[in-house]
Amino acid sequence: MLVLQLRELSLKNYRNYDNLELYFHSDLILFIGPNAQGKTNILESVFLSCTGRSHRTPRDRELIKLGEEEALIRTRVEKELGSSEISILLNMRDKKKVLINKTPAARLGELMGHLNSVLFSPDDLKLVRDGPAERRRFMDMELSQIRPRYFYYLQQYNRILTHRNNLLKEIQGKPSLASTLPVWDYQLAEAGSYIIQQRQLFSQSLQNIAREIHSRITNHSEALTMEYKSSIPFEEGSLQEIQEQFIRELETRHKDDIARGSTGRGCHRDDIHFKINGIDVRLFGSQGQKRTTVLSLKLSELEFMYKETGEYPLLLLDDALSELDRDRQKMLLEYIGKVQTFIALTDPTQIPDVQTSSRQVFRIQSGAAYPEESLSF
Amino acid sequence: MNYYIEPIARLMNELSRLPGIGGKTAQRLAFHIIDMPRDRVLDLTKAIIKAKEEVKYCKVCCNMTDRDVCAVCSSHSRDHSLICVVKDPRDVIAMEKMRDYNGVYHVLHGNISPMEGIGPDDIRIKELLHRLGSGEVKEVILATNPDVEGEATAIYLARLLKPMGIRVTRIAHGIPVGGDLEYADEVTLSKALEGRREI
Repeated sequence: MLVLQLRELSLKNYRNYDNLELYFHSDLILFIGPNAQGKTNILESVFLSCTGRSHRTPRDRELIKLGEEEALIRTRVEKELGSSEISILLNMRDKKKVLINKTPAARLGELMGHLNSVLFSPDDLKLVRDGPAERRRFMDMELSQIRPRYFYYLQQYNRILTHRNNLLKEIQGKPSLASTLPVWDYQLAEAGSYIIQQRQLFSQSLQNIAREIHSRITNHSEALTMEYKSSIPFEEGSLQEIQEQFIRELETRHKDDIARGSTGRGCHRDDIHFKINGIDVRLFGSQGQKRTTVLSLKLSELEFMYKETGEYPLLLLDDALSELDRDRQKMLLEYIGKVQTFIALTDPTQIPDVQTSSRQVFRIQSGAAYPEESLSF
Repeated sequence: MNYYIEPIARLMNELSRLPGIGGKTAQRLAFHIIDMPRDRVLDLTKAIIKAKEEVKYCKVCCNMTDRDVCAVCSSHSRDHSLICVVKDPRDVIAMEKMRDYNGVYHVLHGNISPMEGIGPDDIRIKELLHRLGSGEVKEVILATNPDVEGEATAIYLARLLKPMGIRVTRIAHGIPVGGDLEYADEVTLSKALEGRREI
């Protein structure tokens, strides 16, 4: 059975590409070439088509080819329910535009869910190694793809938070403004309680999947657990209860918040703790354990999306294989055949030895792709 | 290089400072004005000046008017115990076009927005409180926009007015009438679901 989803990708003035048109008819697609030729740029553009943003930079201008005004990323997706075309237009001066089947989308949120992907690159080690912002981004990216409402509430939350932080600074000079603070507490808690509830459900659901996968990868020697840590203490409860707790937490800290001019509690300060056999991976895990944890998480993402949407997302592997030993590579490659997989590689000898019905190979050289259907393995 | 002679350049510059007018439209308007008969140009300038000089704000509801108290506020057939609070004068026009609302208005001329440094003292809330002092008002409808700032303004007013024993209501958010469910976006749809009611 073919699991294709992405059938066409065309790039205009994107990063180092003038004009690129690729047609996919396999469920394993390999991009091979030396460093700095544009392999990651292709994967990035696919990821952008899924989420509306790059995994490498928050600044869309960096995605437009140097000296150009506009870039276009167009993808054609084929699913059981029919085919759709997604275009993203980037402009140096303007906000990006999204077109779904040639119709402009009113909001970026409408893009979510048309095409889902899981991207795995060496950079993902940040997820267990770095600060909580990385892990919040991980949760947000995931939930935004499967729940348009989550994406909306997240945008609202950030806007309300900016208002509230501005207000806190203004209160320092004009204390009478403090009378408006409860208004922002209420709104922050309304959007925030939904975010907390969804993140809590997500981490539980992901943990159930990840525990099993991690145990398999480590020959049953390691037990991975995930714990969602919110700065708003709450027992599992209804949205209403979380919201009330959220407001109480903000109210008791008004003085502190005003003094520091920013909001000390809320979902913008949440975190997830990963533990192996009860020990915090970030603080005490070995390099190998960190890598394995990331792999477990990424594989769990695939399963989670399948569970939530009934379809596997695209799997984008950016030089991710070189970091893993043979056994771990095998675990990852088991998914090829179940999900459409795009792999960027520098070393052709690393081409994974997997059985697939079909595969396509493109050699990537200074912003151009040359198909090599006859490459021998 | 300058393609325009000075008077036309100056006119285009002034026009392009108006909202919704870019360089090309400014050029089109400027050349059109030059081609117009002198009388019509005078009429246009007079209309602009007259509008600017004669429009003032109603002493009661703060809407734009050409007298001290606007037509709605001075009408006897209107229900003065019902006040609809809106953000700006264009919202009043939208409500009036509906022809179904018989109460009066209060125009805030803005929303609370700390990002722009706009607090409760910078919009017409004091004037609203002053009106409520008389005890005649029974209900205040909060019809600010359903965005973050409009919602903040509504919540602030609700907190302020409820202790005064006045009924405070918020307009519903949801599916436009005559619209199709399938075309509603997810957020509007979920808001509409939240605000569902028994029939």
